[in-house]
Amino acid sequence: MLSPVSRRQWLRRSGAGFGAVGLLSALDAGGVLSAASAESSAGEGLHHRPRAKRVIFLFMNGAPSHVDTFDPKPMLAKHAGETPTGDEIAKKNRASGYMPSPFKFRAHGESGVVMSELFPQLAAHADDLCVVRSMHTDVPNHEPGLLLMQSGHQQPTRPCMGSWLSYGLGSENANLPSFIALSPGLPVVGPQLWSNAFLPGQHQGVEIDTNQTQVDKLIRNVRNPNLGPAEQRRQLDLLQSINDIHRRARPGEAALETHIRAMELAFEMQREASEAFDLERETLATREAYGDSEFGRSCLLGRRLLERGVRVVQVFYVKKNSKQPWDTHTKNNAGHEKLCADADRVTAALLADLKSRGMLEDTLVIWGGEFGRTPYAQVDKDKDPKNAGRDHHHTGFSMWLAGGGVRGGQMHGATDDFGMHAIENRVHVHDLHATVLHLMGIDHTRLTYRYSGRDFRLTDVHGRVVDDWFA
Amino acid sequence: MPAAPPIGTCFRAILMLITLPLLPGTAGVRAEQASGSGGAPSVADVDPAAVDFFERRIRPVLVERCYSCHSADADPLQGGLRVDDAAAMRSGGDSGEVIAPGDPDSSLMLAALRYEGMEMPPDEPLPDDVIEDFQTWIRSGAAMPASSHAAPTSPEKTPGIDWDSARSFWAFQPPTRHDVSELPPPPQSFVDWAKAPLDRFVLARLQQHELHPNAPADKRVWLRRVTFDLIGLPPSPSEVRSFVSDASPLAKERVVERLLSSPQHAERWARLWLDVARYAEDQAHIVGNNDSLTYPNAYLYRDWVIRSLAEDLPYDQFVQRQLAADLMFPESPQEHVALGFIGLGPKYYRRNDLEVMADEWEDRVDTLTRGLLGLTVACARCHDHKYDPIPTSDYYALAGVFASTEMYNRPLDESVETKNGQAKKPQDAVHIIREGKPQDLQVMIRGDAKRLGQEVPRGFLTVLGEAEAAHFESGSGRKELAEAIVDADNPLAARVIVNRVWHQLIGTPLVATPSNFGSLGARPSHPQLLDDLAVRFMQHDWSLKWLQREIVLSATYGQNSGVDPDKAAKDPDNRFLWRMPRRRLSVEAYRDAILSVAGRLDPVIGGRSIDPSDVDSGRRTVYSEVSRLDLNPLLARFDFPDPNAHSPVRHETTTPLQKLFLLNSPFLLQHSQALADRIAAQASTRRARISVAYQWLFARQPDEEEMALAEAFLGGPGDELSADDVSGVATSGKPSEPDQRWVQLAQALLISNEMFMVD
Repeated sequence: MLSPVSRRQWLRRSGAGFGAVGLLSALDAGGVLSAASAESSAGEGLHHRPRAKRVIFLFMNGAPSHVDTFDPKPMLAKHAGETPTGDEIAKKNRASGYMPSPFKFRAHGESGVVMSELFPQLAAHADDLCVVRSMHTDVPNHEPGLLLMQSGHQQPTRPCMGSWLSYGLGSENANLPSFIALSPGLPVVGPQLWSNAFLPGQHQGVEIDTNQTQVDKLIRNVRNPNLGPAEQRRQLDLLQSINDIHRRARPGEAALETHIRAMELAFEMQREASEAFDLERETLATREAYGDSEFGRSCLLGRRLLERGVRVVQVFYVKKNSKQPWDTHTKNNAGHEKLCADADRVTAALLADLKSRGMLEDTLVIWGGEFGRTPYAQVDKDKDPKNAGRDHHHTGFSMWLAGGGVRGGQMHGATDDFGMHAIENRVHVHDLHATVLHLMGIDHTRLTYRYSGRDFRLTDVHGRVVDDWFA
Repeated sequence: MPAAPPIGTCFRAILMLITLPLLPGTAGVRAEQASGSGGAPSVADVDPAAVDFFERRIRPVLVERCYSCHSADADPLQGGLRVDDAAAMRSGGDSGEVIAPGDPDSSLMLAALRYEGMEMPPDEPLPDDVIEDFQTWIRSGAAMPASSHAAPTSPEKTPGIDWDSARSFWAFQPPTRHDVSELPPPPQSFVDWAKAPLDRFVLARLQQHELHPNAPADKRVWLRRVTFDLIGLPPSPSEVRSFVSDASPLAKERVVERLLSSPQHAERWARLWLDVARYAEDQAHIVGNNDSLTYPNAYLYRDWVIRSLAEDLPYDQFVQRQLAADLMFPESPQEHVALGFIGLGPKYYRRNDLEVMADEWEDRVDTLTRGLLGLTVACARCHDHKYDPIPTSDYYALAGVFASTEMYNRPLDESVETKNGQAKKPQDAVHIIREGKPQDLQVMIRGDAKRLGQEVPRGFLTVLGEAEAAHFESGSGRKELAEAIVDADNPLAARVIVNRVWHQLIGTPLVATPSNFGSLGARPSHPQLLDDLAVRFMQHDWSLKWLQREIVLSATYGQNSGVDPDKAAKDPDNRFLWRMPRRRLSVEAYRDAILSVAGRLDPVIGGRSIDPSDVDSGRRTVYSEVSRLDLNPLLARFDFPDPNAHSPVRHETTTPLQKLFLLNSPFLLQHSQALADRIAAQASTRRARISVAYQWLFARQPDEEEMALAEAFLGGPGDELSADDVSGVATSGKPSEPDQRWVQLAQALLISNEMFMVD
C-alpha cells in the first residue's frame, strides 16, 4: 500500500490530469502520460509542426462595422445617401442610403497597415497585425452567425473550435482545463458557444463569469468554505485511505485508481487555480494598462491562463447589461467610438504584454465578430435619422490575427468599392477555422470524431488553409 | 479517444466545388429526365470523325483536368457529375444536365469553363483555344463513345440497392426464438447455474472461448446492485437484514417483485427514455428575453413517461402514443401529453425558413430512427446512406411525416388566452404536436433546401417494409408510422429496446452501438440471446418489467464482479460476460443516494422541475430542469448528455472538476452535515455510529481496518464519546472540533469510491 504521502508524490510526478485527455496524449500508450511528455510530443503537433501553441479569440459580440474600423471606403462619401441596389439587402424596409464613416483612416507602422482613428493604441502594433478584409459568412443573423463562427455549423449541436482544439491537443497544464471561455454574463446564444456537443465532456469550455472578481466566485467550488488546506489535506488522507482499502479488495479495476488520482488533482488544482485566477497578483502597472473594464479583466485573466498552459481562451466582449454591445443598429458612430476606446486600449495592452513576455510568437490572437455591418445606414421608420445605425452584414467584413506564426503587417483580401462584398482573396469562416487549426499543428480534414454513424469535423466538407497569412 | 480513421467519412456535402447554378423550378424536371431512358448515343450512331475529335481534343483534357473530381474514381465525387462516362455525363450532376448537344451557349459546362457564374477547373481556367475546342465539340453534337463503365449514379435517382441482399443483413432479418437445445450441453458443474434460457446462451459463448462464469455475488452485494438497478437508490439496512436472513429459494424473486412494484422504480427508469427522447424544457438559443420557444410545462410529458413505466404500459403502446396519441385517442386530450416526444423537440431560429425547418425535420427523423430503430437515417438527408440500404428518398419519405405535423402549444384549459387555437403564452400550454397540412417533400439535393429533386410520398423505410414500399395516406401519416415501427414484423424495434434495457442492467450492451444497428454499428456479442429475448419480450406483451425481471433474476446478473486475471487475459473487455462489470452510478443515482442516506429524500412523485444543486431540494434528480441553452452545471459536470440531440449512450468521464464538486460544493457540505446529524441520532457510541454509516452507505459493516481509520480520524481509539460527540449538533453556534470531524468523516464516506461504485 502506498502511504498517502508517497501516493501524493507519485501523483504529482505523473501529473496526468487534463493533459492526458487530449487526442495527442491518448495516442500514447495507456493514456497514463505525463504532462511533460505530452508537451514534448506537442512540439511536433498532431499532424505537423505547429506555429502556435495556444490561441486567444477576442470575440466582439454583435459584430463591429468593418467600414468604420479596418476597411476604408471613400466611395461611401462620394455616394453618400444613395440607395444601394441588389437582392442581398436583407432588411429593405429599414435600409437607407450609403453612410460614409466619420472616422479618419491612416496607414501605420513600417508595413502601412490601415486602420481608423478609433484604434490609436492598436496602431502601434500595426506591424504585428494580419488584417483580413475579405471575410464572409452565410447569414446576417446573430445566432446562426455566432454558431457558425464558433462551431462551423449554424445549428446548435456541434463542438466548438476550442473543444476541437482541446480534443486534438489537450492541455499543457494537468491542473487546469484546456479550454476556458471568459464572459461577463452570457452572450447571445449562450453556452452553446463553448459546447463540446458530442465530444467527451472534458472538452467543454469552462465558463468563467468575469463580472466576478473574487477567485472563489470565478471558479465554482474551487475553495472549501469550512476547511483550510491543512485540514482538508487531513480529510483527503482519510478519504484516500478509505479508497485504498476499497481498491485493494478489487484488484484489476483500473477505474478506481483513476478516481483516486482525479481526487488528488482536484486538491492540487485548488491551489493552482486560485493562483491563476487571482488578478491581484499582477502589478499595478499591468492592471492599469488593461484597465478595469470587463473586457480588460477578461483579457488580463486570459493572458494569465495562457501563460499557465491553457490551450484555448475565448473572450466574449459582452457587458452586464448587453449581450451584444457591438450590435449598433442605432447610433453606430457614437457606439463605435465608445466600444473601440475600450477595445483599443485592452487589445493593445494584451499584445504588448504578450510581446514583453515572449509569448506572442507562439500565441495566436484573433479579433473579430460574427459578421460586419452594412455600408449603408439603417434608419428605422420611427427613428431620428441623426441616430442612424448600421445593420447586419455578412457578405464582406474584417477580422485580424496576430502572433502565433502569422505574418504581421499585411492586409489580406478586399471588398468592393462600397464594402458590400468580399471580392478579392475571399475568406469564409470555414477557411478561418481550417487555418487556425493548421497553425496549431492540425490538419482540419483529419481531425475527426465518429458520432451518430459518421465522422464529423470542425469544417465539415469545407475549409481551405490560407497560407498567405503564415510568417 | 482516438479519432476514427478518415476513410469512409460521410460529411454533409451541401456545396462542393461544383455548384452548378440552376434555374428555379427546373430541378424536378431535370431530375426526371436524368433518370429517364435517354442515354448517350452508341458509337454506331455518331460520326466517327466527331468521336475522333473527342478522343484527340476533349478526352485528354477531361482526363487531365477534370477526372480527379468528376470520375468513377473521384472520392468524393464532386457535384454528382461524372465526365468519364458518356451516359453519366449526359445525365449531368446535382444541378441537372451540363451539356446541351448542338447548343454550346445553353451548356452549363461551357459556362463553367468560361468562368461565367461558376469557375471550372477551379484552380485556373483552361486556355482559350481549348475552350473553343469544347465549344466546337458541343456544337457538333458532343459525341462521346459509350464506355463499359457501370451506370451513372446521382443522388436523386433510384438507387441501385439490391433489396433482397440488403435485407439479408442480420439487423433486417426478423428475430426468431432459439431453443436452448440448439446449444451444446452445459458442463456438469454449470447445469444448475444455467437454468434460465438467457444463461444458457451466455454460458455457451463462454464455453466457446474456454471461459466460465464467476461465482455468485455475496447476497449483500447482489441486493445493493439490484436495488440501485431497479429503483436507483441504495437498500436500507432493514432491507439488507431481511434479505440476508431469507433462506428461501424465492428470496430474490421477492426482492425483485418488491422493487418492480415500488413507485421509485419508474423514476429511475424514466431517465433512460428521456435520454433517448432528448427531453428538454427550452431551446439552445435565446433571443433577448423572448421565452416563446421554451417549454415551461415540459414536466407533464416527463411525468407521463414515469406514469406509463410505473403502469408497465406495453412498449409498443408506449411508442405509438408518443407519436400519435392524438390520432389514436382523439376524444381523450389528457392522453395527448405523450406527444411531447416530438412536441418538446428543438425549434431553431428563423422558423419561417425552409432551410431551418429542414433542420428541425432532421432532428425528428434522427431521434425517431436512432432512438427507436437503431438506424442512422439522418445520414441520408444529403445523399444515399453510404453503408446502409437507406436511400435519400427514404429519408424524405419520413421527413414528410414531420413536415405534415405542427408543433402545438395546446391551451392547458379554457381560461387561457389563445391565438389561432394555440396558447399565447407557453406557460399556459401543454407542448405537443398536431396535424398540419399533409405534404410530400421533394428530395433536397445534397441537403440543400434550395435545390429540389423528385417528390417522395410519405412512407416507411423501404428496407423494413414489404417488397413494395407502403405509402402513408392518412393525414400526416404519423399513426401509420407509429404502427409500422412497433409492427411485430419490424426486426428492429424490440431488439433496440431490449439492448438498451440490457445495457442498463448488465453494464455492457449486447450491441455495443445501441443506436446504430447498421453496418457500421457493432455486431451483437450474443446474437441468439438478443433475438430470443426480443421475441419473448414481444410475446410477453412488450412488458419492460418482464424484461427487467428476466435479466436481474439470471445467474449472469448474479455473478460477482471480481477480475480473474486468467479470464481477463482471454477476454479483457468482458465481452462474453464472465463477470458482472463493476459500474459507476449515474449522476441521478449518486445524487439520489446521497439524499437518501442523509435522510433528505423527498418521496413525492412528479411535478415541476427543480434545480438539482439546490441544497434545499430533496427531490429526485429525474425532476431536474433540463436546459438545452444552459445545462445545469452539476448535471453537465457528471456526464449528463447534451439534450440537443438523441443520446445513444452516456460518456463516462473522471475529471478533477467533478471532484471539486465533491470536495467543496454546498450540496455535499450540507448533506455531509445532515448525515452526521442522522448518525448521531441513531447510535450512542463512536463505533456504533461508524457502523451505522457503513450500513447505510455500503450495505455492510466496516472491517477492523476501516473502523480503526475512522476512529483515528475522530481523535484516537476509544468508545467514549465526548460531550460534543453526544450533542451531535453544535451547541455554541460554531461547530466544535469533534463535530467537524464527524461531518468530515461523513463527507469522506459520501465521496469515497465505494459510494458511487456498484460491485
